[in-house]
Amino acid sequence: MRICRTRKEDAVWQRNFRTLVFYLVLLALWQIFFEMRFFPEYILPSPGMVFRRLRELGGDGILWPSVKATLLRMAIGFGLSALIGLGVGVAMGMLPVANQYLRSVFLGMQTLPSAAWVPISLLIFGLSDRGIYFVIIMSSMAAVAIATADGIANIPPLYLRAAKTLGTPRWAMGYQVILPAALPSVMTGFKLGWTLGWHGAVSAELIKSSIGLGFLLHMGRELNDMSQVLGLMLVTIFFGVLMDRFLFGVMENRIRRRWGLDHE
Amino acid sequence: MIKTEDHSPAAAMPLPKLVLREVTKAYNTRHGIVEALLPTNLEVKKNEFLVIVGPSGCGKTTLLNLIAGFDHPTSGEVLMDGHPIKGPGFDRLVMFQEAALFPWLKVIDNVMYGLKWKKGLNRAERRDVAMCFLEMVHLGRFADASIHELSGGMKQRVALARALAPNPRVLLMDEPFAALDALTREGLYLQFQEIIAATKKTVIFVTHNVREAACLGDRVAVMSACPGRIKRELMIDLPRPRQFNRTEVSVPAAEIGRELHADLPDEEGGRGVAEEF
Ligand SMILES: Nc1ncnc2c1ncn2[C@@H]1O[C@H](COP(=O)(O)OP(=O)(O)OP(=O)(O)O)[C@@H](O)[C@H]1O
Ligand SMILES: [Mg+2]
Repeated sequence: MRICRTRKEDAVWQRNFRTLVFYLVLLALWQIFFEMRFFPEYILPSPGMVFRRLRELGGDGILWPSVKATLLRMAIGFGLSALIGLGVGVAMGMLPVANQYLRSVFLGMQTLPSAAWVPISLLIFGLSDRGIYFVIIMSSMAAVAIATADGIANIPPLYLRAAKTLGTPRWAMGYQVILPAALPSVMTGFKLGWTLGWHGAVSAELIKSSIGLGFLLHMGRELNDMSQVLGLMLVTIFFGVLMDRFLFGVMENRIRRRWGLDHE
Repeated sequence: MIKTEDHSPAAAMPLPKLVLREVTKAYNTRHGIVEALLPTNLEVKKNEFLVIVGPSGCGKTTLLNLIAGFDHPTSGEVLMDGHPIKGPGFDRLVMFQEAALFPWLKVIDNVMYGLKWKKGLNRAERRDVAMCFLEMVHLGRFADASIHELSGGMKQRVALARALAPNPRVLLMDEPFAALDALTREGLYLQFQEIIAATKKTVIFVTHNVREAACLGDRVAVMSACPGRIKRELMIDLPRPRQFNRTEVSVPAAEIGRELHADLPDEEGGRGVAEEF
């Protein structure tokens, strides 16, 4: 329980409050726009209609299982992607040759939109969930690998010297020193990778799934239901931001502060 | 290595622990070659405490890095126990000019880190040893703190504890007390001398502080800058343990000070320095 507040915390609170007000104004503007009937209802529904549609979906027991399905796919797909990316990134960080070639491949891959992996995944995996994992992995792995490789390349040499002089055997350098020292950069890679993987997951679900956020979004279009489409987009943004800012963002900040990389 | 037919008194002397023979170091930089070290000869006996003093940029860290094995001499050779030094090894523990603590480990785990690679100690024993050194530097209370929560001087004290804990035979120290206040430092000098005497270490110790040099060293090598070289060596023959503030330390300290200042062009032989101490 914290009672004392520093001036800085007050400032943060104030900023958050202003952001909240900004969104309320945005909602109000949306409502006003709707009232003025510039666009027909099926193009611009009101905030209330979107909210009601989401509540209906929730009441029908469709919304929550879909959120869960997408998050579960991300947990599996991104988990694999992080493991592979970490492994490949470590290899790139240790072997200049691997770095030179793989980096160019990965940078090329990163120019490809996530959705562009969907057709090839359909051809290889058909409609199974494995195809979605594939899209998630292909969209996010490169970011993790490149960030890991950069993190290793930029480890302050002093850490490595200190580790050597303190007697660290060669076989222990990797997990005792190199990975922890590269962790801030690895975390940045995870954060970016998660977002890219999230794009991939929802894109893949649009086309090849019978549950999930992407699927519901697709259904909204099939039913010509703008409220559902907008609602699902908002839900997708909400969970994307939740994980990006509040899970990975908080972890990244904490690590950067602890590693002495951010100075207030 | 020792010729058996040699009956000169030198043959009876133990082999020096460290030998630098005609060692030079030049760095290639964008602005051309920087001569950091002119041909340098140096011998350090077993259990000797050698202090190196010299102005900033005269090559003290360079010299230490060569002995540590982090860098290789441009010419000449560095020998330990008669064998050329090929790279860093845990027989020569370095305490760096910067604290170089691992931010991903708690304070106590940093101090325990070097013990991890020694055989025959379980975790509880390692913790006891580490705790003992941490208390020596008055940071027992901070055992579970993270590194980023420490001040600069506290970090340097943790680094000292971390360097002493694994009990290395050879200790290479680069201005280990520079970030500490006078009071903390003076307490540490005595404990430090006690530990060195009890554990029989060979120490090479870099400092800017002439009084510190006189207080700690068996021998003091004075370097001059641009390009770096050892210009004079002084023996300090005072009983131990030496109190930092006792007057007998002042005499060699002033001598070292004069030697340092003799270098500076518009200084009259460093006469002013003697009064400082
Ligand atoms: N990696 C490097 N590349 C190029 N030049 C270097 C390098 N390291 C040191 N030097 C140069 O070598 C000289 C000696 O540097 P060194 O770090 O050994 O000085 P120092 O005596 O330890 O100084 P200080 O007391 O300030 O720590 C300096 O002129 C420096 O510019
Ligand atoms: Mg130095």
